[in-house]
Amino acid sequence: MPEQMITKQKKEKKQDGARVFSKGDDLYACSRCGTCLSICPVYKNTLDEGVSPRGKLSLIEAVSNEKIGYTSKLSDKVYTCTMCNYCTKECPSGVKIDELFKSARQDLVDDKKYPDILDLLKEKIRKAYNVTFDTNQGRLDWLKQIPGIEVSEYLKETAEVVYFVGCVSSFSPRSFAIPRAITGIFKQSGVDFTLLGEDEWCCGFPLLSSGMADQVKDFALHNIQTVESKGAKILVTSCPSCFNTWAHEYGELTGKKIPFEIMHVSQFLAKLIEEKKIKLGPVNAKVTYHDPCDLGRNSGIFEEPRKVIKSIPGVDFVELPAKGLQANCCGGGGNLESLNPELAAKIAEGKADEIYSTGAEIAVSTCQQCERTMNNAIRKKKNESGTKVKVADLSELVLQSMESAGSGQGR
Amino acid sequence: MNEKQINQLKEIVGPERVITDIEDKICFGYDSTRLEYMPDAIVRVNDALQISNIMKFSNENRIPVTPRGAATGLSGGCLAVNGGISLLMVEMNKILDVNTVDLLAEVEAGTITVDVDKAANKHGLFYPPDPGSLKTSTIGGNIAENAGGLRGLKYGVTKDYVNMLELVLPTGEIIKVGTKTVKSVSGYNIVDLMVGSEGTLGIITKAVLGLLPAPADRASMLVTFADMTHAAKTVRDIVEAGVITATLEFIDNVTINAIEDYLKIGLDRTIGAMLLIEVDGQKGAVDIEADIVKKECEKNNALSFKLAASDEERNKLWSARRAALSSLARIRPSTILEDATVPRSRIVELVEAVNNIAKKYSLQIGTFGHAGDGNLHPTILTDLRDKEEETRVEKAIEEIFVETIKLDGTLSGEHGIGITKAKFLKLEISEDTYRLMKNIKKTFDPNNILNPGKLFVS
Repeated sequence: MPEQMITKQKKEKKQDGARVFSKGDDLYACSRCGTCLSICPVYKNTLDEGVSPRGKLSLIEAVSNEKIGYTSKLSDKVYTCTMCNYCTKECPSGVKIDELFKSARQDLVDDKKYPDILDLLKEKIRKAYNVTFDTNQGRLDWLKQIPGIEVSEYLKETAEVVYFVGCVSSFSPRSFAIPRAITGIFKQSGVDFTLLGEDEWCCGFPLLSSGMADQVKDFALHNIQTVESKGAKILVTSCPSCFNTWAHEYGELTGKKIPFEIMHVSQFLAKLIEEKKIKLGPVNAKVTYHDPCDLGRNSGIFEEPRKVIKSIPGVDFVELPAKGLQANCCGGGGNLESLNPELAAKIAEGKADEIYSTGAEIAVSTCQQCERTMNNAIRKKKNESGTKVKVADLSELVLQSMESAGSGQGR
Repeated sequence: MNEKQINQLKEIVGPERVITDIEDKICFGYDSTRLEYMPDAIVRVNDALQISNIMKFSNENRIPVTPRGAATGLSGGCLAVNGGISLLMVEMNKILDVNTVDLLAEVEAGTITVDVDKAANKHGLFYPPDPGSLKTSTIGGNIAENAGGLRGLKYGVTKDYVNMLELVLPTGEIIKVGTKTVKSVSGYNIVDLMVGSEGTLGIITKAVLGLLPAPADRASMLVTFADMTHAAKTVRDIVEAGVITATLEFIDNVTINAIEDYLKIGLDRTIGAMLLIEVDGQKGAVDIEADIVKKECEKNNALSFKLAASDEERNKLWSARRAALSSLARIRPSTILEDATVPRSRIVELVEAVNNIAKKYSLQIGTFGHAGDGNLHPTILTDLRDKEEETRVEKAIEEIFVETIKLDGTLSGEHGIGITKAKFLKLEISEDTYRLMKNIKKTFDPNNILNPGKLFVS
């Protein structure tokens, strides 16, 4: 039986600073304690060490020690991740796991060892400026389909607020309710806002998370310039990943200070409510809230969505068993859904169970992707208690409350 | 293993259960010691019969087999140091029964420790052993290493809660040992022999574990002292006053400073030592015990005494202790967590010895741990990639062990001997005892195929 021992000596750094090879110290900081195994949604649903954060780090370290090269098997493991970032936040040794994964993905892209499906994604985004195969002219289909709508009212030369709708809400009919609710609320509460229509380009998040940061800079510059040209003071996004990209990536990507405020719609709604610009009527229901990873853990926005929900009369608010920094991913994060739909669905089922355990009738979130994933899981997974659960975006709940104020009735 | 053997293995358990890719072998080659040894194959097992067949095959072909749970061990117990098969137990994670009259839980070996406790909690019961890695570690691993935890003083350790085991012997037989009764004197106590045997005598596949009624009340106290001597005197006095606390945790000055650097929660950096004390039990009794604890702390010139008034305050008090290891781990690239253990009357001497050793070898060592049961965690902060420093670390560790034995202590309170402490085992046990242990191993495993290279220096 041959004895094989992997040396833990770090080899000389490679010349290229951008590559994982230069991250020896950060990689070495992982003590393999296994804390990440107890929280990683991907590990918990596969019991496969190779896709756990600890396992991925050991593989990246093996590359950095030139024990192995970047292989496609390694690539599959590294990309099997929802990027929920729970591991980074909980790591006892403070390993910057998210950054290490990001730079490993960058390396895998450089070495052309990434999943094929990402090429398709890149092609779509680079050619059509959105994540679908539709041309970018379809950006406002969700709006145009509303009877009697005057599109020009939504496309102003200048406005105080720009609402950045995001690709999924713009193109996926199942998410149309979100921009419709948000623009409805803005109209009714007198917000001076505009949309960008076909001048809105994908924020670049799918490419950034795939390790293709170099493909995003011109998108960032275009988007910033377009919003600037409207003279806007505030940019509002409804997608937490768009928010995250705008708030935490664009500055570094472009080397520019962004000359307007970036807000997630949950923050903007909380502000409107505080300024009493919205009249809320009763919604008599038990409501729970799911923290999207990119809004909560990755952007620190926990309070505002809860404040909005709790300000609605009649709402009986219950927290999920795991919330805030400890919130569990819905399964729809990263590119996992396109790379491993079965696994993503399995993670989502766990979220459905969490929701059922609260007895809530409405599961609210602030992310079109989480809502879609949760909806699918709830449709598939039986609720033993028999309670019928509806998934809603925060904006839909607010609009419902406003309508109820108008009609003077609950529900 | 050669290709033919791998193929035979695939025939025995099904090809989908045998993994041999280099990428996987790397991921199943480490544990929390951070040492690395690659197995030749990983087999994901989910039933005792499967394991029995693997053992028969391996015994015949002299292939080493090393069981692996969640790989959170700190002595190298699950590392395939001689290659061969890494037997992955995590899929065997079913909780089969919770008996609220006999106070027993029957679980598969790959069940996560905290899940046993959660299942018990649903019936107003709890599973007392609470090793630091309980959210990740498996029951099988806990039993193999006789895992401890924070509640050792009052509630004991894993060995006090194992009633029955289902085992696969290295030669392939599936046996059951122990009983569901409180009392039993039918032959040798194989259960207790298995607990702490580090996976060298048999593969645990199922366990019947003891549970206790969850305490109705508890009181948590955080007490600070100017120096270690006063803190340690307090520990003795509390026990002498007739109070057996559920936890009696201690944090030294180096660790306090590390925690303050990390959390910035306003800890006084000049404090010599901190005790985190918890008493639990029936309502009323808890208050009486907390009063006694308070008196003993005051008698020993405690600098401050805080009693948590709510769960939220309790959480705050605990935050420093919970962050102890993380705070230390962030300071240097490598963290070596030892578990030297002495009778509680000798704690001061051990802490002083550790501090002197740290000075002698110019090393940073923070010490915290379970003062109530004398189980301390001297934590060496270092960078093992630096060969010169590594040599100093090795010398320091050896000296800590020598001092521990001098103080009537033991090399390992709760982590096990494994590969990291094997060369020191004879410091503690005599040549004759060592031989007896080796003979026991030989009786169970005549061909030395089950987890070879552990405990004994080969």
